[in-house]
Amino acid sequence: MIPMIALALPVLVALLLLATRGALARGLALAGAMGTFLAAALLPGSSAVVVPWIAGIGVYFALDGSGAGGFLAVVASLVMVPTVVWTVVRVGERPHQFLAALFAMWAGLIGLFLARDLVLFYVFWEVTLLPSLAMLAGWGLAQRRQAMLKYLLYAIAGSFAMLLTVLAIRPLAGAESYLFADLLATTSALDSVQQVWLFVGFVLAFAVKLPIFPVHHWLIDFHEQNHPSGAADVAGTLYKVGGFGLFAWALPLLPLGASIVTPYLLLLGAFTALYAAVIATRQTNLKRLLAYASLSHMGFVAVGLFGLHIAGLSGSMYLLAAQMVTTGGLFLLSGMLHARRATFDITAYGGLAASAPALAAVMLLVLFAGIGVPGLANFPGEFLALLGAFQASVFAGVLAVGAVIAAGVYGVNLYGRLFQGPQPNPVADLRPVEIAVLAPIVLATLWLGLFPAGPLALLDAEATITIEGQSLASDPAPPDASTLQGARR
Amino acid sequence: MTQDVVSWAALAPALALLGALVNGLLGARLREPLPGIVASVAVGAGFVLSLVAFFAFAGRGEAVVVPLWDYLAVSGVELALGFHLDQLSLLMMLVITGVGALIHVYSIGYMHADSGFARYFAYLNLFVAAMLVLVMADSYLLMFVGWEGVGVCSYLLIAFWFKQGTNVDAARKAYIVNRIGDAGFLLAMFLMFRTFGTLDVAAVNAAVGAFAFGAGAITAIGLLLLVAATGKSAQIPLHVWLPDAMAGPTPVSALIHAATMVTAGVYLIARASPIFATSPEASAAVAWVGAATALIAAFVAFAQTDIKRVLAYSTISQLGFMFVAVGVGAYSVAVFHLVTHAFFKALLFLVAGSVIHALGGEQDVRRMGGLGTRMRITGTTALVGTLAIAGVPLLAGFFSKDAILVHTFSSTLVEDYGAYFLYAVLLVSAVMTAGYMFRWYYTVFCGAERLSKATGAAVHESPRVMTVPLVVLAVGSVLTGYLGLPAFAFPNWIEGWLAPVTAAVTFTHPALWIEWLLLLVSVLAAALGLGLGYWAYHLQKGAPAARLGVGRLAAFGRSGAGFDALYRNAVVGPTEGTAGALSIVDRDILDRGMASGVTAAGLLARVTTLWQSGFVRAYALAMLCGVVALVLVVVVAGVRA
Repeated sequence: MIPMIALALPVLVALLLLATRGALARGLALAGAMGTFLAAALLPGSSAVVVPWIAGIGVYFALDGSGAGGFLAVVASLVMVPTVVWTVVRVGERPHQFLAALFAMWAGLIGLFLARDLVLFYVFWEVTLLPSLAMLAGWGLAQRRQAMLKYLLYAIAGSFAMLLTVLAIRPLAGAESYLFADLLATTSALDSVQQVWLFVGFVLAFAVKLPIFPVHHWLIDFHEQNHPSGAADVAGTLYKVGGFGLFAWALPLLPLGASIVTPYLLLLGAFTALYAAVIATRQTNLKRLLAYASLSHMGFVAVGLFGLHIAGLSGSMYLLAAQMVTTGGLFLLSGMLHARRATFDITAYGGLAASAPALAAVMLLVLFAGIGVPGLANFPGEFLALLGAFQASVFAGVLAVGAVIAAGVYGVNLYGRLFQGPQPNPVADLRPVEIAVLAPIVLATLWLGLFPAGPLALLDAEATITIEGQSLASDPAPPDASTLQGARR
Repeated sequence: MTQDVVSWAALAPALALLGALVNGLLGARLREPLPGIVASVAVGAGFVLSLVAFFAFAGRGEAVVVPLWDYLAVSGVELALGFHLDQLSLLMMLVITGVGALIHVYSIGYMHADSGFARYFAYLNLFVAAMLVLVMADSYLLMFVGWEGVGVCSYLLIAFWFKQGTNVDAARKAYIVNRIGDAGFLLAMFLMFRTFGTLDVAAVNAAVGAFAFGAGAITAIGLLLLVAATGKSAQIPLHVWLPDAMAGPTPVSALIHAATMVTAGVYLIARASPIFATSPEASAAVAWVGAATALIAAFVAFAQTDIKRVLAYSTISQLGFMFVAVGVGAYSVAVFHLVTHAFFKALLFLVAGSVIHALGGEQDVRRMGGLGTRMRITGTTALVGTLAIAGVPLLAGFFSKDAILVHTFSSTLVEDYGAYFLYAVLLVSAVMTAGYMFRWYYTVFCGAERLSKATGAAVHESPRVMTVPLVVLAVGSVLTGYLGLPAFAFPNWIEGWLAPVTAAVTFTHPALWIEWLLLLVSVLAAALGLGLGYWAYHLQKGAPAARLGVGRLAAFGRSGAGFDALYRNAVVGPTEGTAGALSIVDRDILDRGMASGVTAAGLLARVTTLWQSGFVRAYALAMLCGVVALVLVVVVAGVRA
């Protein structure tokens, strides 16, 4: 029941919000956020829901909050609560609609993290796009049209590839249903060519939403053009679910395809990590900088996944959760800076630590967590992802570790430009409501950094499926070039 | 906690962390000097715990392991965090908390009336906590937590006076250069995991035994650890951050950039000594990096005119001595010099702080002179520190430096890699050390006063809270030497103490007369350096030095032997250029290229018309159609299947 409540509650709140205004809408949003978070917090211990949905074709309404997806849903919900509060504070124009979109995204995210039926997963994957697009369209900056167009085109292209893959996989494998377990039982028997094609289909969709180079450009404009509160950016950060799609679906279902394709993707991921971090060192727009930093993190997620090492697989999902908190937190902080100075140009700031020491301290903590300082949220996942990548390919590991250095550069450059140096104009320090918004972010940053063992064990259990698939796939002789070519004809 | 008093020392970092939290969260409400007292008590209590543990541990063999909690829990990579208390970590803890507590107390006087008083002590406590974690860690991963943690604290403290842009630049430089070392540490851990399947220090050290002498994997791990150590311990070529780090408050320079953090690289290599003892190549690389650093930094120290920068280069040079020691396999000797250096270099920096304090911020030695008579305690303790580092017999630096020289001379581990040359380089460096330190002492404390009238009138001895730590450190700068008297004729405690926890490397045992001769050579080196200084600065009234000060060689030295300019032109510039170029390529070429590709496909035009008719609604409709279509197709496919 709990998965259903966690899914239905935000949907309900979103619908009600459309019909309410003013204080009522604000109260509803805050209560709804607390309720949804509480429901989500119960997910890890909950039992799965499986009901036939479109029985004729084996599509089930199957949700399971006890695994990796449940953990991600909890962390995403934890980040959503302060985001809702901040939206109530900062979004002045049609706030009830903005909040409705936020809750719709929340529901979509919970759905796609918990879905254990591939068609259901696809539906949530697509549906979640709508509210994120609506926020950009309704509350974005002047050049949002271009950003929307780009976002949409990339998303459609990716979705199309996934749609084809989803359609093809069950008939090809002859699975009884679209349930993960049923697919898993049959897909590994597919021959290498089919697996490669299906895997590539998934990768096209997931690469866009990861994202990695060279299909990342939508991300930069998306963040730059979204509402200056940063709330929509947080939601967008949570929606970078390509890594989860790979972890939960593509890699375990198609072991042979994965083992053939991932060595190239591993290099692409390592390149993305370094490339984006290096570019981030030269950005002067705060949101573009955060977007590139975030892209670099996704490079780490990618190398963790594509290394096909147990440490990297679990680590990359842990990093995905951690960056929801840290990158999400940084976008909230960017909104707070914008509230003070009405600009994202970081050269216009300086020396704020003198007038806003608390803001400086929180920024320092979350930013340094973001660049992978141990003891804070991103480190355990980043470390394991890189460790796994290095075990698979020394070259890719070294390349990706280069991004750790570049991250140090953009981290201290950003903090230095915003908070250190001469202070042209003092600003107000954190207000009580801002402290309330940031408190869960700070606590989660510390908690995820200090005590990763529990969630990692949860992720590990699921990553083992992929690893077992790999050991089975590597057992029979690897397919030779002739069978590959023959089947392509 | 168990009933074992040794394990109580595991509370030391927690106490420091608590102090940091109290000062960080409530410090703004506490009145001076309360934050300083809180911080000093937190570290002092850690010292007491360490001292009790140290004596309780004496005579035991087995390390005391204090488990903390599970950290990583993935099949095949399971790692619990824990503290490993043994001879080496307990000794390091004594230095960190002992010297640390003195510097905390001194800071109460030094930072008096600073608007960031509480913030300063919060950072300083946080640093002590991280440094303790570094030396107490039972795994390389936890060590890395402390390793990065001290880097962050160092960054924060260098930029403590953050309103001044140059301080911020210095802090950024320090952090970025350290990150290069950290990347080496990460890669070393990855390769360790690949090679041994664990990151536990004891397990790794035990597993090394199964590898052949000179095995490639071991050498590679050793070299990666060297990269890490080079960054943190400011060795060439990653030393450039340390002179700039002097932008931080002077007690910070004493604690972090002289006594503790910068020695972490030496500690790391000593901790991983079985790895280095198995790889003569990696060991030789360590030794030669150290020797080159010792010599070049000593040369540069001659040309510096800032009272702190002289000491900064001196620290780099002395760390080079320690690197040679770990490189030749004399791990306990390196730790010995680490301990003595912690005392006399902390002392020298605090002396510098006392002078700067008295002169209202003046740091240029050309505008000092003659202060010895007006600041009796500072001057006297400065003399003790100077003689100790110069290697004057019976003071601490003499014994530890002589031990390094003797072990380099008689090394077998790196004998194929020029052990005698290493010895010669160190000997020259030792002469130079005595020379530049004499120059430093003389220009500050002797000769004629060169102060401006206003500053001169205000000169005063520092308050008791600052001078008492100076005296204690001065005593330590003498007594710590007796922990490791020349082993061929005297009792040597430290070698026996550390023997169980460091790899055994054989050294040749020269004839007794050669041992005495080497000792004599060490004495002569100090005498020669001090004598040359005396001749140049006292007898010639600094005339040769003045000539030296204008030549091309001096300009080269003043510029730090050209490293900064080289990096600016060869590394920083091109990297920034590449980054700038990439960001343009990404935005204006790749992005636009993708967009125009799509336009060519004709898709763009169609969607453009759509959005004019209410973009989002249209898309929502399309989505709905898409989902319906999907379901239909699935139904059809499902029925046919």
